Amino acid sequence: MNRTILRRRIVDILALVLATAATLFGLVWLVWILFTTFVQGAKAVSPALFTEMTPPPGSAGGLLNAFYGSAMMMLLAVAVGTPVGIAAGTYLAEHGRHSKLAATVRFINDILLSAPSIVIGLFVYEIAVRTAGHFSGYAGALALAIILLPIVVRTSEESLRLVPNQMREAAFALGLPRWKLTIQLIYKAAMTGLVTGTLLAVARISGETAPLLFTALNNQFWNANLARPMANIPVILYKYAMSPYDNWIELAWAGALILTLFVLLLNIGVRLLTHKVLKR
Amino acid sequence: MNEASAPNLVMSPAAPADVELPSRRQAKIDVRNLDFYYGDVQALTSVNLSLEEKQVTAIIGPSGCGKSTLLRAMNRIYELYPEQRAKGEILIDGENILDRGYSLSALRRRVGMVFQKPTPFASSIRNNVGFALNFFERLSRSEANNRIENALRQAALWDEVKDRLSASALSLSGGQQQRLCIARTIAIRPEIILLDEPTSALDPIATARIEELIDELREQFTIVIVTHNMQQAARVSQNTAFFHLGEMVEYGATSTIFTNPLEERTKDYITGRYG
Repeated sequence: MNRTILRRRIVDILALVLATAATLFGLVWLVWILFTTFVQGAKAVSPALFTEMTPPPGSAGGLLNAFYGSAMMMLLAVAVGTPVGIAAGTYLAEHGRHSKLAATVRFINDILLSAPSIVIGLFVYEIAVRTAGHFSGYAGALALAIILLPIVVRTSEESLRLVPNQMREAAFALGLPRWKLTIQLIYKAAMTGLVTGTLLAVARISGETAPLLFTALNNQFWNANLARPMANIPVILYKYAMSPYDNWIELAWAGALILTLFVLLLNIGVRLLTHKVLKR
Repeated sequence: MNEASAPNLVMSPAAPADVELPSRRQAKIDVRNLDFYYGDVQALTSVNLSLEEKQVTAIIGPSGCGKSTLLRAMNRIYELYPEQRAKGEILIDGENILDRGYSLSALRRRVGMVFQKPTPFASSIRNNVGFALNFFERLSRSEANNRIENALRQAALWDEVKDRLSASALSLSGGQQQRLCIARTIAIRPEIILLDEPTSALDPIATARIEELIDELREQFTIVIVTHNMQQAARVSQNTAFFHLGEMVEYGATSTIFTNPLEERTKDYITGRYG
């Protein structure tokens, strides 16, 4: 066989082997993490997990108050962050597309997007915890909303920009004003993208621990009042997993499993949504 | 103020000044010294053109000659893009619509536009026609349904869709979608309809239907059609303007332009030597 061809074939095989090995190396950790989470978490999952409060060391209990706290703070963060984010995305995509202000907003939004979450936690601690004198669910929700906001701004601008200009021209040619066009036609056309962006943002904030440590802190008991410190899954995980008590460690695994499943479900939902759009 | 009611003289730097239009109808649209820019690129250079009421005027010319640009200036749709601007005047019934103070919403109610590609909204057939209608006028449900039916009849679409008005507009064929866009435009009762190559995305049968439709609509509306297809211009229009490189070269009765053009460039284009 020709030497050059032989050499090329060897290089080709070598490159393939290396690339495959690198992929496997990456996947091993991912599968290992998921596997351990599932095995350890499944042992501790029981109905009590969703019906009982976090227990003191040594006795049985569940994570109900933490699930509730996480859910409430995330809901509030989404309720506050999504409309603001979509409105800002609308400004960037529809109104100020080429303006200087829009370029500035985009730049600052990108900084916020990559800001370490612990910095955001400290910031909210300064403005909402120290001034109020105590930790609270509201402060936690605010920190989560600040993390969620730039993601929603970015994804909503991108999905609005995907709507072809022809649709804008068609509506303007009928004499319709911009707000009517945006609310009834553009949002409708970009709905999948808007929902996808929000879901991804929710997945992102569901595991944030650092900002909640500074803001919502934790609560050993049932508390439905957002004005008081609130239990939440990430901080409970942090605290219980580091503890020396077996029942706490078990609960931490169970919480980790539920959190992982939640994020997994969100991602599957996003996949289905985008798939539907591609097929259409 | 309306000088255009005097006999229609077509003034263009390139055309002899004594070309007179065949009929002496009232001018509906009067374009005066119109320059148009895409950023730094000039797309139209001092265009002067007056269009007759309730006639079909075809604008022909090779790609990039500015014919669509002229159309897009007539309803100021170009203002969607901040880098585009127009200089000069476009008078509609004597009022300069390029004037900053002229209400865009009012302008676009008077001047409807249909685009090259059908642009139905992702909604039902009924909503597509009723959307703008219900926004501008307070109509009872039965009045609105009447207006929608009339518009669809005028657009020669009613018989094909009357049993499925709630179906998605996206389920219609390309030709039907384009007629739906025409119906949507005439539902709000404009005075002028701008057609930007309305049949270039359609098959010959759908094209023939739209051409028939244009001929019928002439009784009620002033129509300006941009087309690449010279046979189409000859079939549907009464007057034709030929554009080349951003200038209006020649303008006159369609029959004259196609049989006995005055300008060499018009002759070359019509006989297929370029474009």
